[in-house]
Amino acid sequence: MATATARVSEFETIPSVSPSGTRALWAAIRRKPLGAASALLIVLIVFTAIFADVIAPYDPLAAQPEIRLAPPSRAHLFGTDDIGRDVFSRVIYGSRISLWVGLLAVGIGTLVGMVIGLASGYWEGNLDMVLQRIMDAIQAIPGLMLALAIVSVLKPNTTNAMLAIAVVIIPGNSRIVRGAVLSAKQNRYVEAAEALGCRQLHILALHILPNVTAPILIIASIWFGNAILIEATLSFLGLGTQPPTPSWGLMLSSTGRAFMEQAPWLAIFPGLAISLAVLGFNLFGDTLRDAWDPKLRSNR
Amino acid sequence: MYKYVIRRFLLAVPVLLLSSLIVFGLMRVMPGDALTALMAESGNVSERELAKLRKDLGLDRPYHEQYLIWLWQMVSFNPGYSIFTNEPIAVALKKAIPVTFELATLAMILGLAIAVPVGVLSAIKQDTPADYTGRVVAVSGLSLPDFWLGTLVITFAAIWFRWIPPLGYASFWDSPTKNLQQFLLPAAVLGFRLSAATMRMTRSTVLEVLREDYVRTAWAKGLAGRIVVYKHALKNALIPVVTIVGGQLGTLLAGAVVVETIFALPGMGRLTVEAILFRDYPVVQTNVMLVAGILVTLNLLVDLTYAWLDPRIRYR
Repeated sequence: MATATARVSEFETIPSVSPSGTRALWAAIRRKPLGAASALLIVLIVFTAIFADVIAPYDPLAAQPEIRLAPPSRAHLFGTDDIGRDVFSRVIYGSRISLWVGLLAVGIGTLVGMVIGLASGYWEGNLDMVLQRIMDAIQAIPGLMLALAIVSVLKPNTTNAMLAIAVVIIPGNSRIVRGAVLSAKQNRYVEAAEALGCRQLHILALHILPNVTAPILIIASIWFGNAILIEATLSFLGLGTQPPTPSWGLMLSSTGRAFMEQAPWLAIFPGLAISLAVLGFNLFGDTLRDAWDPKLRSNR
Repeated sequence: MYKYVIRRFLLAVPVLLLSSLIVFGLMRVMPGDALTALMAESGNVSERELAKLRKDLGLDRPYHEQYLIWLWQMVSFNPGYSIFTNEPIAVALKKAIPVTFELATLAMILGLAIAVPVGVLSAIKQDTPADYTGRVVAVSGLSLPDFWLGTLVITFAAIWFRWIPPLGYASFWDSPTKNLQQFLLPAAVLGFRLSAATMRMTRSTVLEVLREDYVRTAWAKGLAGRIVVYKHALKNALIPVVTIVGGQLGTLLAGAVVVETIFALPGMGRLTVEAILFRDYPVVQTNVMLVAGILVTLNLLVDLTYAWLDPRIRYR
């Protein structure tokens, strides 16, 4: 979490982001090999999640006690766990949980954060003051602790872990959107639209929102990686996805730690999967930023 | 300056009050109260006993009264008793805080010792293999889950060196060697994770500062490279780094929840997680608020450090 907060504060100062659309992104991906690698990694993970049924050689829940704790072999690429389930198949299915949590948590967190940020930045005044103080108050509580507390109150499961992560995401997002709205409001065309008597919602949706999309997408991609990390952490602590569902964090804590000396592969592969997924989204966030942030582009 | 500090503290009060409301509200959202949840797990407790316990703990009072009582307890540094262990929370905190403090300090020192030199090197040697290596290590540091790193470190220390960290916490003053053996690995894991963000920030700010006019002047004067980089550039480059480090310190103090759990260190993080698992609400409330208070104070300290590092910034 430390790094999650730090990662986000790296982006709190996004100056004036000008998205020249997908073309700049393609250019960045082509120019930076790491960008291409991250895009490839994400495509691979999404592909794995969608076609898990086809790719996984075994049923992730089917136990075969006679081959328990078997080391990696040709039949079981990542070995088997303490009740003889195929670790490779479980890792493959685990990508579904991670992506699902990432998608919904970041989706909800971004959407709510965006609405609050838009309202706060556009109308300013008392509404802004109240909303931002509430955001401050949420942000004053460390993310992981807040997520832990929410999950423990709601009941530990995947859906609630997702909601908890969304709540953690909201304040930072709202602040970034608010900043972008405040600077977008200075544009002449916004003034012109106001002078022409356009409705406020129309101005917000048509003239202000497009200015906010780039920072939102950058931050969402970074948060996606963090959401996967937080879900894994919650599951690791027993407060996220519950057994026997294959979740990477849960696999690490339930069998990975218990049998770590006898069967280190139980800890190695799920951890590797989490790291690669998070790495992919982190690098992709960097690529987006390089592509859409002209100031940074000239600096690097 | 003093006015600024006082104003910031006054602004922090409503934020902390709101945080306390959120935390308190969260703990009351649950159907039934803390005690019902606790007793349902142990079973076999009569209604009368439950009612008596509830009365003893003040849980039969209206919410606003409970909240005010708790607030008063927090303000007067007497946060009441744990439902689960019946121990005064202050006593539990007194044991846990030094552990987390030591872990956080060590991790911070290790993290900075890696991050700043590597970040500076990465910037000076931009786009060379050294730079790429530094950046790849930094991004991996951001992506490796600390619970995985911790688990691997313990596993491979046990497999390869037949060594496991000594069990049972020993304070530094009682047994410095045992204490350091317990703390070095978790601090290294945390430090590595922290160093990643700091390293990236150091690199990009040093790159920016190296393009400033006064740095060019320093070069033009014929100063040695070391002096230009470390004396002229680094001080200004460190300002955004301070924000990141300030944020990290807060989170570290919040208890490196996972690392403390893996390495069996009885710190704040573990205390809080255990309290959450046992639904020990008074402890959870107190710990979360304490950490929120520390974070808000740290943010203020970070802002004040800015002024010290960059004389152009003056607070009024």
